[in-house]
Parts: sequence; structure tokens; C-alpha cells
Amino acid sequence: MAKDNKLIEQIVNRYDGDVGMLIPMMQDLQAECGYLPADHLRSLAKRIKLPLSRLYAVATFYASFRLLPKGAHEVTLCVGTVCYLKGAGKISEAICREFRVEPGGTTRDRLFTFQAVNCMGACAVAPVMLVDGKYYESVTPTSAVEILHGLYPDEDTVEKETEA
Amino acid sequence: MLGQMSLHCGVKGIRRVKPVPTVTIDGCKVEVEKGATILDAAKKAGIWIPTLCYHPAVSNDASCRICMVELDRGDWRQLVTACNYPVRRDIVVYVSSERAKQARRGVMELLLARAPESQELKALAEHMGVIETRYPNVTESQRNCILCGLCVRVCEEIIGRAAIGFAGRGVERTIAAPFRQPSEDCIGCGACAAICPVGTIKVRVHEDQQEVEISPFKSRAKLLVCERCGAPLVSTQVSEQVLDKVKIDCEEFRERLRLCPKCRRSQTATRLEAATANKENSERAVSWHPNL
Amino acid sequence: MTEHGNKQLISREDLERVREKLLEQRNSSTKSVCVCIGPGCAARGSNRLYELFCEAVEQSGVKAEVKAKGVGCHGLCEYGPIVLVQPGDIFYQRVEEPDVPEIFRETILGGRVVERLLYQDPVTGKKARSPNDIPFYKAQERIALAYNGLIDPTSIEDYIAAGGYTALPKALTTMSPEDIIAEVERAGLRGRGGGGFPTARKWRSCRKAEHFPKYVICNGDEGDPGAFMDRAIMEGNPHAVIEGLIIGAYAIGSSQGYIYVRNEYPLSVERLKVAIEQAREWGLLGEVILGNSFSFDIRINRGGGAFVCGESTALMASLEGRPGEPRAKYIHTVESGLRGKPTNLNNVETWANIPAIINRGGEWFASIGTERSKGTKVFSLVGKVVNTGLVEVPMGITLRQVINEIGGGIRDGKRFKAVQTGGPSGGCIPSEHLDARVDFDELTKLGSMMGSGGMIVMDEDTCMIRVAKYFTDFLQKESCGKCTPCREGLAQMLHILERIAKGEGEVGDVEKLEELAGLLEGTALCALGKTAANPVISTIRYFRDEYDAHILDRRCPAKECRGLFRYEIDPDACKGCGICLKNCPADAITGENKVPHVIDQEKCTLCGTCWDKCPFTAVLKV
Repeated sequence: MAKDNKLIEQIVNRYDGDVGMLIPMMQDLQAECGYLPADHLRSLAKRIKLPLSRLYAVATFYASFRLLPKGAHEVTLCVGTVCYLKGAGKISEAICREFRVEPGGTTRDRLFTFQAVNCMGACAVAPVMLVDGKYYESVTPTSAVEILHGLYPDEDTVEKETEA
Repeated sequence: MLGQMSLHCGVKGIRRVKPVPTVTIDGCKVEVEKGATILDAAKKAGIWIPTLCYHPAVSNDASCRICMVELDRGDWRQLVTACNYPVRRDIVVYVSSERAKQARRGVMELLLARAPESQELKALAEHMGVIETRYPNVTESQRNCILCGLCVRVCEEIIGRAAIGFAGRGVERTIAAPFRQPSEDCIGCGACAAICPVGTIKVRVHEDQQEVEISPFKSRAKLLVCERCGAPLVSTQVSEQVLDKVKIDCEEFRERLRLCPKCRRSQTATRLEAATANKENSERAVSWHPNL
Repeated sequence: MTEHGNKQLISREDLERVREKLLEQRNSSTKSVCVCIGPGCAARGSNRLYELFCEAVEQSGVKAEVKAKGVGCHGLCEYGPIVLVQPGDIFYQRVEEPDVPEIFRETILGGRVVERLLYQDPVTGKKARSPNDIPFYKAQERIALAYNGLIDPTSIEDYIAAGGYTALPKALTTMSPEDIIAEVERAGLRGRGGGGFPTARKWRSCRKAEHFPKYVICNGDEGDPGAFMDRAIMEGNPHAVIEGLIIGAYAIGSSQGYIYVRNEYPLSVERLKVAIEQAREWGLLGEVILGNSFSFDIRINRGGGAFVCGESTALMASLEGRPGEPRAKYIHTVESGLRGKPTNLNNVETWANIPAIINRGGEWFASIGTERSKGTKVFSLVGKVVNTGLVEVPMGITLRQVINEIGGGIRDGKRFKAVQTGGPSGGCIPSEHLDARVDFDELTKLGSMMGSGGMIVMDEDTCMIRVAKYFTDFLQKESCGKCTPCREGLAQMLHILERIAKGEGEVGDVEKLEELAGLLEGTALCALGKTAANPVISTIRYFRDEYDAHILDRRCPAKECRGLFRYEIDPDACKGCGICLKNCPADAITGENKVPHVIDQEKCTLCGTCWDKCPFTAVLKV
């Protein structure tokens, strides 16, 4: 807690406590923590004497602010018609089961954020999974799980990848 | 200042700025203070304009757009919101023109689609001549809230707690307590429910838990109940705030505040009887605060 | 740091002396290789090219005679990475890493041209040596982009040597604030951010306002999809913006300026920061500027990620630490703006034009353009044209000239269908209006608007309902949500457009869209809402037949909307190779080897895989 307050103090002093600089303050906070932790926002609100509801309004208005930590990696599974026909549903289930995550959520260890989207337009190589911008084609429940395990640092995994 | 005026005289002809401008509203002439709104002028003229997000007690954003009227601009007419258009010179306004009516009705149709279950909104719509809406309900978030923001403003400006605020943007916009958790700052006074023009915010009393809940924000506050009969009175925080502001240091007074009106009357009746009975026996009058 | 030592410029004479010295140093025998590191070229690896050229200069020990520079966007992004060699204005296009040694050896050291890297006209086959020989550049007139591609944007010395900071001392030492405003008025400059409001009128109103402090703001929140003009200026020539701001602040009576840059442009923020620091060092920002008692400084604020913050009152709300919600403008911001004080807000390109106007006079500026739209405009020409990039043209040029002469016509031999101008607040203009002259009023008459300068060219394969849907969806996501008509109205419009695109349109939908459009225009609180229906209305105006086809026939004439067209195999073109059959995820294709295949329409999921894969283009969209 003391460490949190020190960070908040630092940030507030950087802008001479000017409440008009709330957005830069929050940008600095997010740059430091990777997202906007609730407790930090509470401290910031108290420190610059603004209601917490105002900080929350600002945090949820601007697209660049995140209230939840994002995973280190971004995983997107296509569940459009064709991919679904070719088993994307089962792939999604396998990922959710293995890594204990829901679509739209982030794994507890913040390894990756998992999104299910409707048609990425790569139907010819369905089912398709995107990991940090890289396309993986014709994935199966097994291969998808394997690929994601490969995201852990220092794990040796064989990847089957193609760039679309 | 004088120099500027003479410049005006030279270049544009004399432009007298009256301190008390006249508003001609649907043909009716009224004088208003400079800086008053078209809505003020309409009230003075006895002309009704529907409002939703406007309330005299709090600041105004003109966000609902239900009060649109036409402003005469010479060769064209501009649609403006009556509740916040500042009158700074003589103007001509049309409330009952077809275009103004159509604009207001169009906005109402959109609102009816957004808040299909609000009886208050339906009543206002009928008053405006809008029986139904042609639009389906297409927004999933916070049904029946028209996002007028009155609750947010009353909580911040009058109550001073700012327990709720706007969250999100665009169609996803909602009114919420921070992090969509029950608010730590809510005192359960119910001002938001009182000011909500569509009856969406409700105060629910949970007698068993001695709590008052503000729905839909899920915020709860401890409830003061009558010491005698247990009927719910008011949130403890409101009670404390009142005591703080009134600053009466009399135990008798505090005791009274812990009773519900019924029990207070009953207690008074008992004391009156006792006083009458004691009058023969004792000269000591029962004192109580004159205002109770 | 500064070449002339850490001495601040106290007077106009100091500045002139420094400029003379810089010009002496940069005599004509100095060669330079200017590598474009603007966004387009950078995406193709030009930063690495710049590094390689720097290394080449180091290694061959010619640092005294040769300079390698990273420069801002030159405009012809389609042909990037672009490298310009001076002297001689030699223009190389599509330069790759292996080309670096050759360019260095042949051109820089040897003075010879590398023919294969020159631009070649796709129609005439003629090679061009310099930008002036290239049709893309010939029709352009560069004022705001004048120094782009010529100067190193991180060097104030480059800017000064090229003639920058000539207007500022002239304004501060020989002109009064009223003189400056009169010059801008003579120029007829109108806002370049989209509003097109007469700049001098705005400045004068702000100057007349009776409260202090006054603020000047540079709106760098360029959010229109497809637009990157302001980015090119902020990153390619930041000092032009700063110089304009200082002059404007002096004319208005402001001592504090803000540059608001959208969150997605971190490089712009960086370049502006460096430029501001340099200006401060040289005494061009700060307490006493060039001997004048005028003091002014600039602060940079980054946006938080909201398109609506391009609207002036929303931008100001953001600068006050609030959500970017616009407010009523019955009282203008020049009277009561940021923190309730008189505030003058202008777009990046507007500010960038000011130094030229002061230097060369308002009359000169007014001699370019049309009767009511003076000067030039920077456009981002993107989409289905051959030459995509940034162009700066005099107002009054026709759309046809921009798209054909400069843009090189439609790519892939397709037919022109429409050009979207003005971004999400604008509309689509069809081929019958290609001879319209590009200016504020003409474009508005046609149902579109100039906007900030985006020009998205579309061809015959574009479905206009999808275009309308795209912009409506964009605006719905970016709407602040404060007022009913924009928030609810856009949601309703999008709902109708989605139904139409899915083949679920109903008779009366177009009329409903038109009614909603009228409601938005009349009752929305800010310009975003008021113009939000323009894409829909302009497509209804010019492409009503497409709407009717979708609604009445359940057919998409452009064959983009999935489900509203079919895939069929042309039996004359099909060779029966079986590729489509093997790849069809729904097993909807049947056929023997070497016999024309057939698609079972019942089973077909319309995924388009067969269309993608057929090597004989035998699969048709019908």
C-alpha cells in the first residue's frame, strides 16, 4: 500500500496536482502498472480530491484505458460459420478447460487474453487461431492447446504455423 | 468599451443591446433577464415545453433533446434546446411549429424505444401526442434508463457524495457506481430515485437486514428503524448528516428522531396524558422542543 | 543540441545571423540523402534504410560532405520507401536494403543516376528523375507540406535554413496583432479540420473577448479513418505548427497553448516534444520572445482514445480531465472555452499555413483556390487508386484531376464507383460529379463535405450499403452517448442497415433511415451527431438502386454482402480440376475429374473458398 501511494504521489507531483491533467496522470499510471488497478484509482481520487466516480467515468470513456490486466499474449479463435463447422466449438472448449479461462477473459497467470470472434476471413484454412498476430491454420483441440502451452517461457514445443 | 461602441455605430449602424431582452414565443411577447433561457421565457408566457433532463435544482446539459424549439434566424430557422439557450438579445421562438413538434416527437419515439416500461415516460409522450414508437428496442444495456444524468448530478451537486456516475461511452453508456460495485459513498438518501424522471431508480427497503438499497446500483446503506416499532425510518447516514447540520445538542431531540412519526405521536399523546394527570400533583411542566 | 552554442536568440537580427551562418555551412556542395521515415515508408522498413545510409556515410569517411537525413512524409506512399538525393532532386522509389550501397556509390559519390530505381509512369513508360517530372507531384502545390521530405523534422537548424522562423520575427517585430489578423483575413484562410470556418474571424472574436487568460489550441486529434494529413505535418514538419501557434497566440493575446495529439500517434507526440524543447532553447518559446514582451509556451496533451475528442468542446473537456463530451455551442468557445476562458482552437494544417501567409502575404494565398475557398488543401488519397498517398492541391481542382492525374486512376482495371470525402461526417460522390471542383461549398452541395481531407476511392466491387454500415458502426462506437438522437438514432440506423445487408430489409426501411437522418441533423447536440447520417443519406441519394436491390430482391449488386449473391461455376471455364471440391468445407461441390463441377446451392455456406482457390477463375459471383 505504501508503495502504491508513493507511485501516486510521484505521478501527481509530476503534474503539480493539476486536476486538468487527470488523463495524463491515468496514462502514466497505466504505463507503470499495465492497467488501472482499482486501489490505485482510489488513492489517486483521494489525493487529487476528485470523486472516484469521475475517475471511473474517465477510465471507461476512453478506449485506451484498461481496468483489467491484459495477458502477455493475445489469442483469438475464429468461431465463424466455417470454422465452427470444422470444430471451432470443440477447440474453444478445450482451451477454456485446459487454461481455465472464458472467452473475453484472461488466464489467471496473465499468460494470455482469449477472444472468440466471428469470422476472420480465412475460411479456406479453417479452423483458424491468431496468436499475437500470427495465423495458425487447420488447428485442432490438441494442436491449439499445444501451441498455447508454447507461450510459456522456456517451454519446448513443436509448432505448426503458417502465415496467412 | 465606448470606442468599440462608436466603431459599431460607424460600421454597422447603432446596435443597442437592451438589458432586458424580449422573447416572442409563439407570438407571445415576454421580457426576461439577460442570460435567462428560452425555457424561462416559455414558463413566463405560460407555454408548455416538455423536459426530461432539466431540473431547476441541478446543472443542465441539454442531453435529452426533448425540449427542441425553433429559433428564428432571419432567412432560416435553427432548432435549439429551450432549456439552455441563453437569451442575450430580442429573439423570436416557435414552440408549436410543425418542425419543432416533429423534432420533439422524433426524440420521444427514440426514448420510448429505449425505456419501454416507464409509465412516466409514456404519460409524457401522450401529453406530447406520441402514442407509440415505431422503433424496436435495440440497446441491451441499462434498459429503461434514458441517461438524462439527473441522478448523477443530484448526487454530486446537491448531496455532495458523487456515489454514481456515467460509465462507458455511446450505446454502451450506463449510470453506475465505480467498478459496478455497490458504492462506498452512497448514503441511501434516495435523492436519485426522487429526481429520476422515468421511475427507473427505486429505493428498496430490506427490513430484515435493516438496510435500504438503491436499485439498480445495488448500493446499500444501513437503515435507522424506529426504536419502538421497528418501522424503517431513514438511512443512518442521512440522519447523522441532518443532526450534524442542525446542531441541536438536546437528548430529547435525538430521542424523537429515533422514532417513526406514528410512535412519536403516540409518545406525545402519552406524555400529554401524564402531564394532565400530574398537573394537580406537580408544577413541573414537561418540556419538549417547540418544534416537535 | 544547437549548432550555434547554447545562446538564446534575443532579437530578430540574431536569428538572421544564425540563418546566414547555417546557409553558409550548408552550401551547394553538401550532398544529402533524404530517406522518408513517414508512416507509410516506415512500415516498409525505411528506418533500416536510414540506418544503413548513416553507416555508409560513417564508413566511407565523407561525413563532412555527405549528410544522411530521415525526413517526413513526401506523399507518394504507394511507391515507398522513397529516397531523395540532393543536389539534383533525384527521386528513388521502392528502395530496398540491397539498393543502399549502389545508391551511395553511384549517385552520392559518383553523381550518376540508378535508372532502375527511378519512377516509371505505368502508362507512358517514361522515367522520371525528379518529383517535378512525376504526374503525381506536378499537379500539386505544396504549402503546408512544403518542407516535408526536405528537412529533418528533428532539426530546428534544418527548418531555419530552409526559411522557417522567418514569419515569426516579421510578425513580432513589424506587425501588430490586428495587422496579423488582417493578413490572415486577406488570405481567406478557412479551417482545415473540417468546419471550414473563416480563421481570421475566429481569431478576431477571441481577441475581442474580455477575459483572461486566453488559450490557443492545436487540434491534432485526427480521427477520420483513412486520414493521415495532420500526422504527416506533425511528424514531418512540427516547427511549422509551432511557428503558426506562436504567431496566432500573439495576435489573440494568449500566453498558453496546447497541442492535443490523439493517443494513437506517439511518434507525433515525440517529434512535437523535441521541437518544443528546441524552440524553448532558442528562446522562441518562453518569457520574452525575440525582444518582444510577449511570452508564450506550449503544452502537449495526448488523447485517451476517443474520436469524438476531435470536436472542439469535447477536446477541451478532455483537457479539463473529464470524459470527452461535447457541450452546446450557443456560447462560442472563443468567448468561453477551456476552463470557461476565451479559447481559439484550430486544426494542425490550419496552423501550418500561417507562416507562409505571413511570409508571402495574404494576397498571394488568396490568388490560389476558388472564390470562397482559398489556398491549398492536403488530402489523403487512398483506396482503389493506383497512387495512394498524401497530396496537396489548390482548391478548385476537380475530383477527376485528383483521382486520375494525380491518383493514376483506378487500379486493377476496375471502374470508378464513388469517392468518400470528409470521413464519417461526409458522403460518397459518384462518377457523374467527378468534374466537381474540390472546395468547401461544392462538396457540401453534393451532399458530402471537405472534412479533414480524407478521400477514399471505391470501385465497382464496393457495396454502398456496406460502406454506409461501416461508417454508421464506426460512429456508433465513437459516439459519446450523451444525447438521445445520436446515441439511440445511430443504434436504430445501424440496426436497419444490418437487416438490409443480411437480406432482411423491409419496404419503408429507406424512408425510416431518411427520417432518422433528419432527426439527427436537427436535434443532435454536436457536429458528430449532426453529420452522422451523411454517409447513409449520400448513398441513398446516389445509389438508391442498390438499396432497392437489397431490400426488394434480396440481392447485392456489388456481390459483397454474404448471402445476397451466389457462387456458381462457369461450365465453360471450369476444367474439372477438383481443387474447389477438395477445399469446400461444406462438401457442396460435386463433379468428376475433367468434368465441369457444380455447386449445390442448398449446401453452400457462401464462404467463398472455391472462389479464392480456383486457378481458372471459373467460379463466378452471381
